[in-house]
Amino acid sequence: MTRRVLSLVLAQLNMNFAISHSRYYYLKKRQRLWEPVLIVLGIGGAAAMLAIGIYTAASYYYSAAAAVGQGAVTLTLGILLSQVLVLILGFVLVIAVFYFSNDLGILIPFPLRPAEVLVSKFAVILANEYVGLAVFIVPVLVAYGVRAGVSAVPYVVSSVLVFLALPVVPLVLAAIPAILLMRVVGLSRRKDTLAMIGGFLFIAVVVVFQFLVQTKAPGVGEEAEFLAKMLATADSLVDIVGARFPPSIWATKALALSGTWQGLLNLGIFLAVGALGFVALLAIGDRVFYQGVLSGFEAGATRGARRVGKVRAATYVSRSPVVSLAVAEMKLFTRTPVFVLNGFTGFVIFPVMLVAMFFVRSTPEMARLWDALFAIPGLAAIGTLVIAGYFFILTAMSSIPFTAFSREGRRNIWIPRSFPATGKTVALGKAVGAEIMIALGAIPGVAVLEYLVRLPVLSVVAGIILGIMSSFVLCVCGVLFDMWRPMLNWTDQQKAVKSNLNVVAGMLVGVGVVGLLGVAVSFFIKLGFPAWGIVAGVAGVLAILLAALMKLLGTIADKLWSALEI
Amino acid sequence: MSEVALLRLEGVSKTYRGGTRPAVDNLSLEVRAGEIFGFLGPNGAGKTTTIKMVVGLLKADRGTILVNGHDVARDSVAAKADIGYVPDNPDLYDRLTGIEYLNLVADIFGVPRDERRRRVAELLEMFELESAARDIIQSYSHGMKQKLALTGALLHEPRVFILDEPMVGLDPRASRLFKDMMRSHCDKGHTVFFSTHILEVAERLCDRVGIINRGRLVACGTVEELRNRRKQADETLEDIFLELTEAGEAS
Ligand SMILES: Nc1ncnc2c1ncn2[C@@H]1O[C@H](COP(=O)(O)OP(=O)(O)OP(=O)(O)O)[C@@H](O)[C@H]1O
Ligand SMILES: [Mg+2]
Repeated sequence: MTRRVLSLVLAQLNMNFAISHSRYYYLKKRQRLWEPVLIVLGIGGAAAMLAIGIYTAASYYYSAAAAVGQGAVTLTLGILLSQVLVLILGFVLVIAVFYFSNDLGILIPFPLRPAEVLVSKFAVILANEYVGLAVFIVPVLVAYGVRAGVSAVPYVVSSVLVFLALPVVPLVLAAIPAILLMRVVGLSRRKDTLAMIGGFLFIAVVVVFQFLVQTKAPGVGEEAEFLAKMLATADSLVDIVGARFPPSIWATKALALSGTWQGLLNLGIFLAVGALGFVALLAIGDRVFYQGVLSGFEAGATRGARRVGKVRAATYVSRSPVVSLAVAEMKLFTRTPVFVLNGFTGFVIFPVMLVAMFFVRSTPEMARLWDALFAIPGLAAIGTLVIAGYFFILTAMSSIPFTAFSREGRRNIWIPRSFPATGKTVALGKAVGAEIMIALGAIPGVAVLEYLVRLPVLSVVAGIILGIMSSFVLCVCGVLFDMWRPMLNWTDQQKAVKSNLNVVAGMLVGVGVVGLLGVAVSFFIKLGFPAWGIVAGVAGVLAILLAALMKLLGTIADKLWSALEI
Repeated sequence: MSEVALLRLEGVSKTYRGGTRPAVDNLSLEVRAGEIFGFLGPNGAGKTTTIKMVVGLLKADRGTILVNGHDVARDSVAAKADIGYVPDNPDLYDRLTGIEYLNLVADIFGVPRDERRRRVAELLEMFELESAARDIIQSYSHGMKQKLALTGALLHEPRVFILDEPMVGLDPRASRLFKDMMRSHCDKGHTVFFSTHILEVAERLCDRVGIINRGRLVACGTVEELRNRRKQADETLEDIFLELTEAGEAS
């Protein structure tokens, strides 16, 4: 029993981290050796920079909090934020890995209990979470350890245990609703749609919840006033911040009091709750996990006779190849729950966050922030730029254009390749499809913004036009980038859209460009340029970029397309 | 031939969710120890659906399926432990090497170390896969993947060997080997249950055949029996197949 599970877990981890795969290509076949080196350097560098940034912030936060004898709140916040992150991302990950892995057709005929398969899949998610979490929480743990002058051995031991147990509770909290959701939607004809809606609802709830917790915590810079108030109520800040999610208190005490009986007790509670949650997940999973998976094997509604008329109608429609490709791109994307849950998350999170922010306006700090916002001179023109920037950021975060070819995967990429279409046509089709999805996805955010800030219609319309232009530039670039280096060898759909370096590159470029533009715009405003003049300037630059891109597209795309080896 | 039924389906039905008519309709059949059973039928007849229900990839709406006496619905782990299954399109773990995949399967089916070593060596040699075994599966051809899937399914000497269209993609030598292997597997007292469209193979190889059309079993027995039942002793299996499945279409 244990041997079976262990073997399964090891095989899953091997595939997840592509260990044999890399060994084969890089060591045995000696292919593209520069590639792993570059990847390790790039990711390692970015991770190190991020870690240093977090370390600095945590140290700074610690000094401020320690001044009022509340240093441990640094740990609470770090732990709480990591757990919320795991919770939000975990839900989608659980649905993708538990229900849409390619290997389920192999695993289910094996003589394994559902819980055993669940363990192996859970281990894969956990392993991925550890990699990500290491960058976020280890700097916080180190910063606290260094600044608080803890005794090394017990602190390190507790830290390692807390780190290992950290993602378990939030993942269980994400996995249990996910499993139940998939069980329930499996009963319905429209199970894919329902799974997507359920997923977004869950994310929205967690974002709102996280906001409520966070508004209880002080931001850096206003802690003195806040702490004074808190201390007056004689409650420990740690307890207040963690009250909405107690595991973060236990973890904090386990660390801050490491080496004492009380620390040990809290560590014990923290680990026990994780273990209990895991056991509960297995108990529930053993009953309902397979039912959800099996219903996924059945294609949704086939409506028999009523289809006939539609078939005839469909065969007579002829469109331009770009339009057909764009329509196909949208259909393929929106009908794949894993793609939608990953790619459309930003469309949901931003408006929900805006609304949540608006409703906590009652706290004085937030009200001040809003007032400051309304008082900005040239708000209408800046609103236009903000909307355009929102489109751009959504495009960068959505991963849609950056995975246009990766998503086809090794199994399907031959289909567009065998079409009698030029690279330019294919790239344009994919970019247009991506653009339409993103533009539609941006509507809720823009609507909420408009409702809250009440921008003039002109600036909203101008913002949308600029937004579509800017986002389309990024779409075309993203599609070309993915045509150059598609990641076709994925083991499940989640990998195609999440563990894809093209996506990371897109996000970095997107955030970088918006950041630079933001700096440039505020610089021009300081210089006294009229705000609408800046808008016109941005529009001009975008128009030139678009024209140049269209001109270049023919040669670049055709070359990349014919160079793409499958 | 022994009379023990290693695989038994009783009144099994399945309608896909949203489907208008059952993909498998009240199907009953029995495969005994030492028997090769050929499962025939036109495209979309319900062969793959039936096989998937037996191996646990689909749940039957009605009826019971017993594998070596274990109810697939209630005692699925025990039932699966007695099955070796090769799907119609063997999508294996692209990112594992052949050996890693076989070890995984052997671990899960609890094949002891010595036996594992012996059987892996034997099967890999037979399928001429030894040199490829240490490469990742992604680098295999279609037929190589299929041979690896066959190897994995045979490692634990399954009582019931279930194959969905096993001949597709095998070269003549491999398909010959494979046919011999099915025979010797049955001679050990196990059974083979496979679906196919190649009627000559079914006619020569199978102890009994079942013909399914639109989800219903329209004939079942030895080829000889089917012929006699139709009172036309010179008919080939192909003639019988075409007549039976055409009749089903009309009704
Ligand atoms: N995943 C699925 N979801 C919905 N309906 C399905 C699914 N798979 C098969 N069907 C339907 O079930 C019926 C039987 O299909 P099945 O795959 O069992 O046929 P088959 O006998 O294996 O055919 P073939 O010889 O083509 O492999 C068909 O009508 C098919 O449309
Ligand atoms: Mg079939």
